[in-house]
Amino acid sequence: MPRMTPDEVGARLVEVLGPAPDVVASVSGGQSYARATVDVPPRSWAAALLAARDDAELVFDFFDWLSAVDELDEGFSVVAHLWSTTQRHGVLVRTRVPRDAPAVESVVAVFPGAAWHERETHEMFGIDFPGHGELRPLLLAPEFEGHPLRKEFVLASRVAKPWPGAKEPGESGHGGGKRAPMRPPGVPAPGEWGPA
Amino acid sequence: MTDLREVTVGTGSGLDTADMVLNIGPQHPSTHGVLRLKLVLDGERVVSCEPIVGYMHRGAEKLFEVRDYRQIIVLANRHDWLSAFSNELGVVLAVERLMGLEVPERAVWLRTALAELNRALNHLMFLGSYPLEIGAITPVFYAFRERETLQAVMEEVSGGRMHYMFNRVGGLKEEVPAGWTRRAREAIGQVRRRLPDLDNLIRRNEIFLARTVGVGVLPAADAAAYGASGPVARASGLDFDLRRDEPYLAYGELDVPVVTRTTGDCHARFEVLLDQVFVSLDLAERCLERVDQITGPVNVRLPKVVKAPEGHTYAWTENPLGVNGYYLVSRGEKTPWRMKLRTASYANVQALSTLIPGCLVPDLIAILGSMFFVVGDIDK
Repeated sequence: MPRMTPDEVGARLVEVLGPAPDVVASVSGGQSYARATVDVPPRSWAAALLAARDDAELVFDFFDWLSAVDELDEGFSVVAHLWSTTQRHGVLVRTRVPRDAPAVESVVAVFPGAAWHERETHEMFGIDFPGHGELRPLLLAPEFEGHPLRKEFVLASRVAKPWPGAKEPGESGHGGGKRAPMRPPGVPAPGEWGPA
Repeated sequence: MTDLREVTVGTGSGLDTADMVLNIGPQHPSTHGVLRLKLVLDGERVVSCEPIVGYMHRGAEKLFEVRDYRQIIVLANRHDWLSAFSNELGVVLAVERLMGLEVPERAVWLRTALAELNRALNHLMFLGSYPLEIGAITPVFYAFRERETLQAVMEEVSGGRMHYMFNRVGGLKEEVPAGWTRRAREAIGQVRRRLPDLDNLIRRNEIFLARTVGVGVLPAADAAAYGASGPVARASGLDFDLRRDEPYLAYGELDVPVVTRTTGDCHARFEVLLDQVFVSLDLAERCLERVDQITGPVNVRLPKVVKAPEGHTYAWTENPLGVNGYYLVSRGEKTPWRMKLRTASYANVQALSTLIPGCLVPDLIAILGSMFFVVGDIDK
């Protein structure tokens, strides 16, 4: 039995969901390992996963994972990866939720394995999953504040404090003229974050 | 005259019982690392079980976003400390695929061989520790004898015993030492010859069978819906192995026998693990034969700053404990915009903890041990 190509998988899922202007199929990067990627609006998120599971041609029975990507002003992408153990093809289903009220329907009823993934996405990104019931923190401590995987969450351990004195003889620290060293990724500019 | 009082003395069924809340862990020696289970017990029977995870959460995904692609490898090989080589592999595959990098053939076959040796090493650990947990002390010595033999092979090639750091974007760190493939094959031969010692000791042991057969049965459909994979899922009859179903490395050219069972109980999970060691040794040997026939470089020259082009891709591998995946989103920088880590133990523990309510306390240990998880792999 020939395997469906990513294009065919994406086209089939769009067909099952009923073609709409905001349901778009594309293909991910990764050349021969590319995945069908289907973008759906948040209101049809749970319906899309249910259709992907129950369609006779797609049969996505294996729930791999669910997570999110911070897209800054454009909100968050919620992504899930599904696989069919019988048809041997996969799909990435994505939806975009707004930053000010990030919420998308829970899919625990479709795939029970989503329970932990939704709890984790909730604590890491602050995305709500109505219908989940118990979005307690999973990996973070109960008293932890903030959503660490949001881009505005600064990794405090990366904020290097300059050594208060001179490092070399003759170096006053106020000399000027020396170019500021390049900041490693994730380190905010001085004065941008933390106590002044 | 004193007042007469009527006293009812309860016997047996008349007694009120109260449910007891029992915490196992986070430091209980019978758990692997710091998994905590909050159990509600009615006598010896478990009424409910809530795994409380996260004690070892190190924020790997956040750290990935502030490290360049070379630095990520060292972070990513740590979550499952028994499958370091396979963990590294997923990261470099994701980056190579997004960059469109062609890996030299010799490196591909070497990677496949090392991944299979890593699988054998990982399985041998659980083949020793699982019987230990349910009271059989001897098998662990046999398992560790074999582990040590294979460990020497890995150590010679990479310098490490756990965190090999032998993968690089575009290939491997360096060429293997002269004569290494021969010594690796000898080690494989030795382990294959001696492994029946362990097999005969435990597989059909009467006490071991009594503790594991029919205990903790996971149906195949549940395994899939929970995302359980690897030996745990294949023991339930979920015929899913990425080495065959979406071949990466050189697996497409190898005929990978997929070990499955249908009963889905603790004994089936143990048997899958045991049989997979034999399969992995065979596969590793075939890869090493191919390595000897291929000459050429084991890596490619990269620019000083490695940048993945804008886009997203998902690379998953059949790690010893199950599916391990990296969803990489790049915005063309030297660090990933987002790298989601999907781990095997996370999904497997979620699936198997649903089996615990209703079982007896002694079975709990048998089920817990048969999940074959690494806590770092759950907590990330």
